[in-house]
Amino acid sequence: MPYALLLPAALVLALVLGYPFARLVVLSMQKFGLKQQFGAPPDWVGAANYTTILQDTQFWHVLYRTVGFCFAAVVLTMVLGMLVALLTRRVGRVLRLALIVSLLLAWAMPPLSATVVWQWLFDTQYGLVNWLLTALGGDFHGHSWLTNPWSFFGVALIIVVWMGIPFVAFTLYAGLTQVPGEVLEAAQLDGANAWQRFRHVIMPFLRPVVLILTALSVLWDFRVFTQIYVLQKAGGISRDTNLLGVYAYRVAFGENKFDLGAAVAVVMVLITLGFTVFYLRQITRQEEL
Amino acid sequence: MKIRALAAVGIATALALSACGGGSDDTASSDTEGAAQTGTIRLWLNGEDTPQELVDYAKTEFEKQNPGSTLEFERQQWTGIVEKLTTSLSSNDSPDVVELGNTQAQAFEAAGALLDITDRKAELGGDDLVQSLVESGSYDGRFYGVPYYGGARIVVYRKDLFKDAGIEIPTTTQEFVDAGVKLKQENSDTEDFSGIYFPGKYWYAALPFIWDNGGDIATQNGGQWTGQLSTPGSVAGLTTVKTIMDTASAAPKDADESKDYLDFCKGRIGMLMGPGWKVGQIVNEDDGCPKLEKDIGAFALPGKTEGTLAPSFLGGSNLAVSAKSEHPELALSLLKILSGDEYQTKLADLGLLPVKKSLLGEVSGDEAAKAQAEAAENTRFTPASENWAGVEAGSVLPDMLVAIAQGKDIATETKTADEAIASALNQ
Repeated sequence: MPYALLLPAALVLALVLGYPFARLVVLSMQKFGLKQQFGAPPDWVGAANYTTILQDTQFWHVLYRTVGFCFAAVVLTMVLGMLVALLTRRVGRVLRLALIVSLLLAWAMPPLSATVVWQWLFDTQYGLVNWLLTALGGDFHGHSWLTNPWSFFGVALIIVVWMGIPFVAFTLYAGLTQVPGEVLEAAQLDGANAWQRFRHVIMPFLRPVVLILTALSVLWDFRVFTQIYVLQKAGGISRDTNLLGVYAYRVAFGENKFDLGAAVAVVMVLITLGFTVFYLRQITRQEEL
Repeated sequence: MKIRALAAVGIATALALSACGGGSDDTASSDTEGAAQTGTIRLWLNGEDTPQELVDYAKTEFEKQNPGSTLEFERQQWTGIVEKLTTSLSSNDSPDVVELGNTQAQAFEAAGALLDITDRKAELGGDDLVQSLVESGSYDGRFYGVPYYGGARIVVYRKDLFKDAGIEIPTTTQEFVDAGVKLKQENSDTEDFSGIYFPGKYWYAALPFIWDNGGDIATQNGGQWTGQLSTPGSVAGLTTVKTIMDTASAAPKDADESKDYLDFCKGRIGMLMGPGWKVGQIVNEDDGCPKLEKDIGAFALPGKTEGTLAPSFLGGSNLAVSAKSEHPELALSLLKILSGDEYQTKLADLGLLPVKKSLLGEVSGDEAAKAQAEAAENTRFTPASENWAGVEAGSVLPDMLVAIAQGKDIATETKTADEAIASALNQ
């Protein structure tokens, strides 16, 4: 009977997620270009598309870049999110309200608008950042932040982390309210300093929340698209700044190699699925959720 | 219990699906019945080169000729248009008439995305159409896209600044570069002043230098394409481009040319390379500067040796009917209006090259038009391959130019670009 209750949800999932994914897998095993998009029958090519992308050094560069970017974004989001959560606990009522409202606003902003605003801030000619840095004595006049891949990803990282912090901070803040005050007080009486209290009292209580948040952040940051795509349009060299999601899109819709794009997308899904299954098993094994 | 629930869900799903199916069938059949007489036609034009007044004219004219039908106009951006056309033309929500850049058209013609209008060519201008523009609208001997307009790139300059700096109109590439450098020095107190405005992604403006030095983008030999950007001729041309970027331009190294008219209006530009209608864009009422009009001049880009002109990129676009259009007859009637003499004359007044030989004399007599007519005599084009659109969407040339603008090694960057071009064209 409990399984019967799952059935409607499972059916809906199968329809809205299962069908597109099955279609994607089929597409990745066909020869599918612009002609097929407009009605020509596609040929089956088996695993040829996969061998093509796996032998392409460009694909591996993109993959390493994506993993590196994801790692940096997750670590930054978690650390800064935690600091904001702790800060929210410590400040007075007015400041706390201001903090929460700002976080909400940042979170409510659609990624596209947020990226466009940040891109304006970093604009080569008219950007506030260049103006400010120049006013502070640096020579940033006409400095373009997006042509160099490192500073490109620096800007992208700021946007992604900025958008990721609110959710992490809110959730951790909620988690922090569950830490019993008497235990903290007892630790303090025993002479534990702030770091020791955080490390040995607060963290154990927050552990499950942190683990889940990390998993979610990894999933979000691994498939980041909008931020990178918009920044590339604004100035970045796309060849040097593609991440997996954008790369799949460019291969499929830019070069009209829908088959190869589908193969990249399938590999991406498999990586995220693999990570999710592995990570969730680790959590459920270690923690009583 | 379980089985009963499953059955219920199954039946509900079946009902829902059949309901959907029935609904869409109904609407489809009623649509086709009315197709011959009236309907709504969706027209996509790209970029800012067609002003609103012309669109309004086309709308009025279309609705007058086809009583009961309406024309819906949607303006698209040139950036990302290939992706947008790929998805929209194959969807059930396809626009009826679209504008395709003449470098992009063949990909869609080869793919079967566009309606074959070979037997209607005579009504659309026939042999009077400018042949080079017809070529991009044709594939494999069939005709799909009627030319919409053409344009050769010219140099637009500030007469007053030339006079102040004591510069004559340059007659060789070297003089052109020198004039740019001198203008930049003379106006060094103006912030971000460019003697020659050359933003990093402006590949149309880099091509004349490549061609004039004997280089090319790619050539075909025995069915196989080879990238030609790393050949000595192309590298020589790109070296000139790099010199211009470094010594004469203050344009952003990571931007394209789409906002150049704004800087021109701010007085930050001495010379820029643009299509014939650029002057119109500069002096437009909305965000341009009509006051500058009397100081604007134009000339065709000179070549390496005295008395020659550098080959110019033949810009332009085609209009085509989507193969999925539900009202092909109405769409064709719209094509007739847009390629018709009256509409084309209006385009010519804006400084665009009309698509009919009989109208070429109509190009208005100002300096920009004259320069364009000169430049138009020596135009060249991107490689004639149905896969060229892939090179554009992959932004191979802009990526290469931005890297060069940044100071990366020209030899390495051109080699990378050649590989990308060959792999895209030899599919």
